[in-house]
Amino acid sequence: MNYLLHLLIYLNIYVIVALGLNIIVGYCGRLSLAQAGYFAIGSYAYALASVKLHWGFLPAVALGAGLAALLSLAISLPSWRLKGDFFVMVSLAVQVVILSAIYNWYRPDAQLGTWLNLTNGPAGISGIPRPDIFGIKFDTIGSLAMLATVTAGICLTLGALLLRSPWGRVLQAMRDDELAARGLGKDVRLLKLQAFAIACALIAVGGAIYGAYVNFTDPSIASLDQSVLMLCMVIIGGMGNFRGPLAGALTLLALPELLRFLNIPIALAAEVRLMAYGLLLVLMMHFRPQGLLGSYRIE
Amino acid sequence: MQVAVNGLITGLTIAVLALGFTVTYLPTRVFHVALGGVFTIVPFVAWACLSIGCPWYLVVAAAAVTGVSLSFACEAFNHRYLERKAASAGVHLVSSLGLYIIIVQIITLIWGNQPKVLRVGVDTIFNVGGLVLTRAQVLAVVSSTILLIAFYAWLRLSNLGLQFRAMSDNPTEMSLRGYSVVRLRLLSFSISGLLATVSGLVFALDIGFDSRGGLTMLLLAVVAMIIGGRQSFWGPLIGGVLLGVARAEVAWFLSASWQEAATFILLAIFLLIRPNGIMGQKYRLEAEA
Repeated sequence: MNYLLHLLIYLNIYVIVALGLNIIVGYCGRLSLAQAGYFAIGSYAYALASVKLHWGFLPAVALGAGLAALLSLAISLPSWRLKGDFFVMVSLAVQVVILSAIYNWYRPDAQLGTWLNLTNGPAGISGIPRPDIFGIKFDTIGSLAMLATVTAGICLTLGALLLRSPWGRVLQAMRDDELAARGLGKDVRLLKLQAFAIACALIAVGGAIYGAYVNFTDPSIASLDQSVLMLCMVIIGGMGNFRGPLAGALTLLALPELLRFLNIPIALAAEVRLMAYGLLLVLMMHFRPQGLLGSYRIE
Repeated sequence: MQVAVNGLITGLTIAVLALGFTVTYLPTRVFHVALGGVFTIVPFVAWACLSIGCPWYLVVAAAAVTGVSLSFACEAFNHRYLERKAASAGVHLVSSLGLYIIIVQIITLIWGNQPKVLRVGVDTIFNVGGLVLTRAQVLAVVSSTILLIAFYAWLRLSNLGLQFRAMSDNPTEMSLRGYSVVRLRLLSFSISGLLATVSGLVFALDIGFDSRGGLTMLLLAVVAMIIGGRQSFWGPLIGGVLLGVARAEVAWFLSASWQEAATFILLAIFLLIRPNGIMGQKYRLEAEA
């Protein structure tokens, strides 16, 4: 039972991240590699706010999301002019800078949480307290799963409302033909700023829940491999609509469970799982470039 | 001075890899991520050959055959079919990323993910005019220079090199004039496999290798290409050398952990101010799409 709840929490985290990333990849039409950086920003902001400032769950998550939305300028401003391979490289640059900042923003002799030592470097931040909202502690795995599900539910509802609204339709119009959208008098620059900010904030919320659940955060969650995995999730699940990211999150979760039935030794499981991802990416590009349930093909 | 020379030598290996990337990117427009996989697998093959006691020329030959055939296979079994479906650049990129993941995981399954070294013990040291050079560095300079000269001579002087340059200008017109683009594409993937092989071997000999660093190294090479200018075959060389020196100076004056950040900040500056790179001609980015 506990194991199922554990899976449920991870599913919720993946769903939130996939939903956010889908706005960048599927609705803005830009392949990005920066997502793990924003995930880590959410996670670190949550950790610092709850460990050092003793903030509750809601303000700490809001801090992470707000910070990520602000820092999303680093990828949304370049997206005014760049697309394709160039944008991939810029997002990679952002990811690398965030990762180096997390690694280097610390001094062994300074106390954690001061301006000299914000991230505790390679050791990461441990002992993140369990979330509490208005005095209610969420310290069993059941209550944590409930919290994660409710958060994911809220994110999904907001996402669905946004993407079906006129705003979402203009976003799709911009993705399909930016020049035409501009010609119709839509402010595509503002639109990109908004879309990237919302996407990065969502990804940061996922990161915050992750930090709250595992009680620990370290620089490895901001690595390039993580970015690639998140991208795989969205591409395999499908881009440009609402079902796709859900399918991607489910696939990401179901794949290791399926491999478990094949009796692969534990030591090899991680490699085989990643290899299955690579294989899925290659096959998907040949036979279904829009992903399992997607409706948009990458340019 | 010593720092700059060390950077110059690392830059030369980056330049060779960047050239390998450019050789496929310019004529075929494929973002060849799997080249990072070639860069990663080659030292492992060499290491395996060394451990069963092969002489060095056999080791190099085995590594080269692996690298070239792997890169060849990427085109022959994957990108060729995607191209036939008129797939977009993003689709090529993602499927190449998939290939990279598969290659790296196979390496990890066979050889594990511990860092390894190709040579044992301390390297022999030469003193050249007040500079200290290791044997691995001398080897790096010699082999990279020979390879670069051979490549540029081939590109300039041979008929095939001329076709190659024409194709990177305009592949569609090239095929309309009756040249076999399919054959040239296979050739370009093979050449980039060879260049990545040399770069991978030299880098592993100097610093050591593991199964993880390939993608970072490849992206570094792409940065070198963008800085240098991507319409010209000379761009990656200039960009690579510049990047190598800049990285070495950052490591010397700041700290090695800021190297990556400095690299990518340099990239961001270039994309903002001079998106066509040092050697690039002027054109609008939108015109590319």
